[in-house]
Amino acid sequence: MSKPDDVIHQPMRLRIMAALAAGAGKGQEFDFSRLKSITQASDGNLGAHIETLERAGYIGVERGYQGRRPRMVVRPTPQGLRAYKDHVAFLRSVIDSEAER
Amino acid sequence: MMQIDPKSAEASLAEIDAVIARLKQSTYYRGASTIIVAWGVLVAVGYLLNQWIPRQAGFVWLAVNALGLLATIVIGSRQQRANRKFDWRIVIAILLAFGFGLICSSLGHFGARELNIFWPALFMFGYALAGLWLGLAFTALGVGVALLAFVGYLFVDTWFDIYLAVVNGGGLILAGLWMRRA
Repeated sequence: MSKPDDVIHQPMRLRIMAALAAGAGKGQEFDFSRLKSITQASDGNLGAHIETLERAGYIGVERGYQGRRPRMVVRPTPQGLRAYKDHVAFLRSVIDSEAER
Repeated sequence: MMQIDPKSAEASLAEIDAVIARLKQSTYYRGASTIIVAWGVLVAVGYLLNQWIPRQAGFVWLAVNALGLLATIVIGSRQQRANRKFDWRIVIAILLAFGFGLICSSLGHFGARELNIFWPALFMFGYALAGLWLGLAFTALGVGVALLAFVGYLFVDTWFDIYLAVVNGGGLILAGLWMRRA
């Protein structure tokens, strides 16, 4: 049985990783405003959780400018995608083991 | 080790499904936004030309529709080159709408004013239907523009083409810009 991931299990971080994993390899780009709209987070909340995921090595953050406006693009790392996949497998195994009882 | 009970695991998986559904909708909106803005600009120009050179209406709308179709194909190809999925059935849907529109408008013997309201109503009906599957912003666009166009048909006289340029063209441009941010 896989193990739960403490970093990813937090609901907002789970939403962020779910969006990034679903868009990975499909040419999807996630800037701050798109991620905010998909995860339905507030600016501060999203910023804090992005930092946590970045510190854990689960996402890479590219900070730059688009014209004069600051722009942040977030991408999942291979380690982050693996951790997310394992965490989802763990969640499914918890439900399956309950169903088998 | 962190403990997660089955209820919490189910809630987390439901949360993931909801995020994926929102991502899909955002992808549809973003993919369609440039195409919708392009059609909005072309349609607005078409109505403005209609106002000033009504005798050339047939040629104007042939050019607008050909350019719109070309723009759709070019934008779709670019999206595909950028590794984003583009549903080519959109092009077929536009061609089908033209085909059905031509049949209906021939059978209906519409006058110029009726034709001006018929085509936006037909295409907006398509948007309204598509929105039931792809995202309600499409439905809001379709119903909103069709209703405003019909109000114009009933109450706007001399400047009807200008009114439609604003309502139909402007509506498409605004909706496309909104979808880009979704």
